[in-house]
Amino acid sequence: MEKSIAVSPLTRIEGHLAIHTETESMTSGEGKTAYRIKEARCEGEMFRGFEKILEGRDPLDAQQITQRICGVCSIEHGIASCRAQEMAYGIKIKGNGRLLQNLMLAAEYAHSHLLHFYHLSAVDFVDITAIVSYTGKDRALLSIKSWAEAALARAKAGTEAFPAAPFLPRYEGDYYIKDVDTNCALIAHYAEALDIRRVAHEMCAVFGARLPHSTALVPGGVTQRPTEERYLTYLSRLKHVQRFVEQVYLPDIVTAAQAFPQYWDVGGGYGNMLSYGVFENDDSGRTLFSPGALIGGKFEPLDVKAISEDVGHSRFASGSGLHPSQGKTLPEPRKANAYSWLKAPRYRGLPMEVGPLARVLVDYHSPNSVVKEEVDALLKVLGLPVGKLNSVLGRILARAVELRIILRQTFRWLDEVEMNANPTQDFAIPKSASGYGLTEAARGALGHWLTIDNYRIAQYQCVVPTTWNCSPRDDKGQPGPVEKALEGVVVADPEQPMEAARVVRSFDPCLACAVH
Amino acid sequence: MKQLSRRDFLKVSGILAAGAGLSRFYADAFAAGLEKLSKGLPRIVWLQGQSCSGCSVSLMNADNPYVLEVVTELVSLVFHQTLSAATGHVAMKVVDDMAAGNEPFILVVEGSIPSTMPEACIIGGRPFSEILLPLLRKAQFVVGAGTCATYGGIPAAEGNPTGAISVMEFMRKNGLSPEQRLVNCPSCPIHPDSMVGTLAYLAGRGYPGVNKELLTPDMFFAHSTHDDCPRFHYYSKHLFAEKFGDSEGCLFKLGCLGMLSYTDCPRRQWNGGVNWCIRASAPCIGCSHPQFGKSKAFPFYRKGEQQHAVGYEEAQRKGGAS
Repeated sequence: MEKSIAVSPLTRIEGHLAIHTETESMTSGEGKTAYRIKEARCEGEMFRGFEKILEGRDPLDAQQITQRICGVCSIEHGIASCRAQEMAYGIKIKGNGRLLQNLMLAAEYAHSHLLHFYHLSAVDFVDITAIVSYTGKDRALLSIKSWAEAALARAKAGTEAFPAAPFLPRYEGDYYIKDVDTNCALIAHYAEALDIRRVAHEMCAVFGARLPHSTALVPGGVTQRPTEERYLTYLSRLKHVQRFVEQVYLPDIVTAAQAFPQYWDVGGGYGNMLSYGVFENDDSGRTLFSPGALIGGKFEPLDVKAISEDVGHSRFASGSGLHPSQGKTLPEPRKANAYSWLKAPRYRGLPMEVGPLARVLVDYHSPNSVVKEEVDALLKVLGLPVGKLNSVLGRILARAVELRIILRQTFRWLDEVEMNANPTQDFAIPKSASGYGLTEAARGALGHWLTIDNYRIAQYQCVVPTTWNCSPRDDKGQPGPVEKALEGVVVADPEQPMEAARVVRSFDPCLACAVH
Repeated sequence: MKQLSRRDFLKVSGILAAGAGLSRFYADAFAAGLEKLSKGLPRIVWLQGQSCSGCSVSLMNADNPYVLEVVTELVSLVFHQTLSAATGHVAMKVVDDMAAGNEPFILVVEGSIPSTMPEACIIGGRPFSEILLPLLRKAQFVVGAGTCATYGGIPAAEGNPTGAISVMEFMRKNGLSPEQRLVNCPSCPIHPDSMVGTLAYLAGRGYPGVNKELLTPDMFFAHSTHDDCPRFHYYSKHLFAEKFGDSEGCLFKLGCLGMLSYTDCPRRQWNGGVNWCIRASAPCIGCSHPQFGKSKAFPFYRKGEQQHAVGYEEAQRKGGAS
């Protein structure tokens, strides 16, 4: 029997996404009817037209306007725009400007990854209702317990229609960790991670003025001059965040993985990975994580010319298959056969996964890998081959692995900053020029392409991480990476497709970014 | 649940109000608000239209009080697209039940509304405007969170293809009066203190004193950023920063829009007080202004060929055309 199953809207991600699947019924191991996904569609359901809004503007507006594409990854858009402008202005990021932008980006990664695991994703695994069975003495947990008990009592008395919101209602069933102590520990860490994520944003604001949407970010660096006071304000918070990442975040992921080991085998998809490389480690532009592509398990150097965007199934009338330097954005909201506001980026015609897992795997297979030792040690402890990383749990684990490596480097970048010296460099805006900026957002490969004519932006195109991951089918009919990763996923209850939701959330989709 | 004492409330409220340099009156108002909030747990429905979630992230940056206290002790966050456990049809049922029921609630809207292209914002298969309208009719109060919801913001900038409009325009188009019901809290993103403080005031005291045209609460948006600027002394001596990264001098010649902005950024600062734009030598880009980012001919910075048109006057603050 065939059945359509939808998650519409998929919440606990950034932005507006709907998932529609076609399934066939099957008999599960326990003799119950279940549904296997045959094909899936990712529908990006919002559009603002940033690329049209940028046309005709002063080029220097771009790193401010593009940050507003996304309030979760604002710094990354700002940095991609700075790189594109720097190329157009004929300067290269160096010295303090490079280091201070690295320090901001590292903090933004910490904010993003902690938000994803604890506040967006873990809610699919942790049983929040376990708090009422808590018997310990932790004051924070007791406070949450009394709040939950009071809310549930009001619900029983009929005075509270939606008790314990926003944690209830949820999909009800056999989806969650059963052990009370494990649940309560993870609930405590949910609460603690709210603080740590906020502190990570404070780190970023130390040099970025404020977050989200840093006003201090400018081509060549930042406006905030580094001082001893700034150094200490950043350092104290860095230590605070790092302690949590090392001692709580990674162990919690291992706990979740042990409770749901089946997710090492679910949600793999194509396995083709793309990374632009990120965190300029020196003034030559060499990055901490190597750029490159992984196709059929084979590493190859990055070829920027191989990027194109199809719009056959996207709500755009503009040309299909164009390189972003030639791309246009002409909306056609009621286009036949189109089902998403995302374009379909392809690399050498192939759908590519981007994100922390792609960053880690591309670097792992590159010469001079910075992650290999760490990844191998972890896999050894877990007793897993590297191939298992291409999965729901692999994506979740990759975030913690890279964040540990980044935060260790952050101490070095901080120490290399020249105190009380210029945090940026001067430049002149040419009458006409073009450039592009490649970086890695927390969620993956991010590129901005810019053409300047008569001192104004003539053309601007953004190819964004979730545009890659949640892309619709391309002109050849190839599903996007998330669509592909959903194929074969088995859903137990068609009214509560938790298994599908977990696969999609493992990519940490950011739809405002993807549609822009 | 944990009962906070009046002293606790006064402490929290004192921080909220003191940060803004507000009078004792506001501290008391906040205290009353926060206390009522915790007894009745007023329901908040938070909807995102054409948004970037930056205002939601800013809410998570709240520290007066912290966001966990906000959602467990002060309000019942019935629905929030980024934070709710509810997903898919479970999520839509919560929203529809609130629209159909008679429970009082405060509606918070983040993001603009695409007035000429309904397909540009769809939730659960339905145009955002169709979900928003019944909630706007039912809500006791409505808060426009951030510049997109308040004035249209960047999605409504010149050349935008979706006809993006603010909540106030959407209400008027649909025959709903925003007066005494809508509170506009601009800035891109919203400052967590103005978000939490406005919710506290609405629940405790009712509708606050606002600017009559803009509907911005006076307690947060009545003071000129320029007048309170710590670099005002440079301005009065005509000492100006010349290029990005200059740590001294008034930032006016780099494009600073503090003169046209009405925020309490100079006193409240951002991100727990670790920094804010002017302190970081970053020119104010006027993110709380009705015309923020709207005109292609009005760049954020003055540099080289890109000189501001000078005729951008106080009158234009009132929402007039650029």
